[in-house]
Amino acid sequence: MVEPALVLYGATYEKALEALDELLRESGARYALLVDKKGFVLAHKEALWAPKPPALDSLATLVAGNAAATQALAKLLGEARFNELLHQGERVGLYVDEVGEHALLVLVFDENAPLGRVKLYGKRAAQALAELTKDALTSPSKLGLDTEYREGASALLDELFGN
Amino acid sequence: MSTINFANREINFKIVYYGPGLSGKTTNLKWVYGRIPEGRKGEMVSLATEDERTLFFDFLPLDLGEVKGFKTRFHLYTVPGQVFYNASRKLILRGVDGIVFVADSAPNRLRANAESMRNMRENLAEYGLGLDDVPLVIQVNKRDLPDALPVEMVRAVVDPEGKYPVFEAVATEGKGVMETLKEISRMVLGRVGSEA
Repeated sequence: MVEPALVLYGATYEKALEALDELLRESGARYALLVDKKGFVLAHKEALWAPKPPALDSLATLVAGNAAATQALAKLLGEARFNELLHQGERVGLYVDEVGEHALLVLVFDENAPLGRVKLYGKRAAQALAELTKDALTSPSKLGLDTEYREGASALLDELFGN
Repeated sequence: MSTINFANREINFKIVYYGPGLSGKTTNLKWVYGRIPEGRKGEMVSLATEDERTLFFDFLPLDLGEVKGFKTRFHLYTVPGQVFYNASRKLILRGVDGIVFVADSAPNRLRANAESMRNMRENLAEYGLGLDDVPLVIQVNKRDLPDALPVEMVRAVVDPEGKYPVFEAVATEGKGVMETLKEISRMVLGRVGSEA
């Protein structure tokens, strides 16, 4: 298949979580997510003081869609990509940076987090995560999901959709 | 191409509803959303114009449940069907695991069905994919139209070799909607681990 899947697990996943946690502390942001470019959440952390986040699936999907659109826009303008996206509202802002070729770092911050810190530490964390996830590209077919998995999933399909 | 997250023990699949403008892709998703119990679905996201034409995509996450310790989830997307939205349509196809092609039964939309299928082939090709690389189900929608074309005629245009499963549907009434989704889900799951 053309597009390799990002697979995060074990020590790499733990390290990614640590990196997100540290980033939250340094930047003062509310939520930090590592999202793949297809819109799936790979890892996420929330600051303890922050209110409950919005639906993370929706957030990840919209960010990935937005990043894809922005990249197409960049190509139209003769750039390979815009590496960094920043959306600033009245109170809340969104910072998105590329993590290697297949993932995105997403930071949601409010007025308590200075923009300079968000950008500085966001950029650093994105680089660290890119290094970390470099080896996490795997073909999902090698993961040993077998007939038993397929049969189990099939039974759940019957349950969810009816026979 | 599915995304697997071992730490959370999650496996994710992406299913895209494709087809010409106004063929009923969003209606399919809305029906599914209405039928899936709370707790098994996330929020439905629609990026639409004021007259509810899909502008970028609709998105609906579904939880299948746990299989062999893996939380299994499907992400359903639609594309905007209108011809001039191809740039965004192409983006949605990225990383697709399965496709439902929603064809329109109206006589004056027969050409649009063929155009859309051709467009889908071209867009997939840009990701290095052929039609044989992605599980595909054809849904012949709007069977309730008084002047609906015979299913075989619609099929002959989008699937001349008769290679793909076909479902008749009236998405506004939910007819055929769950059957279509179930079949594509099965086909997508059938691919897991079966490839070298």
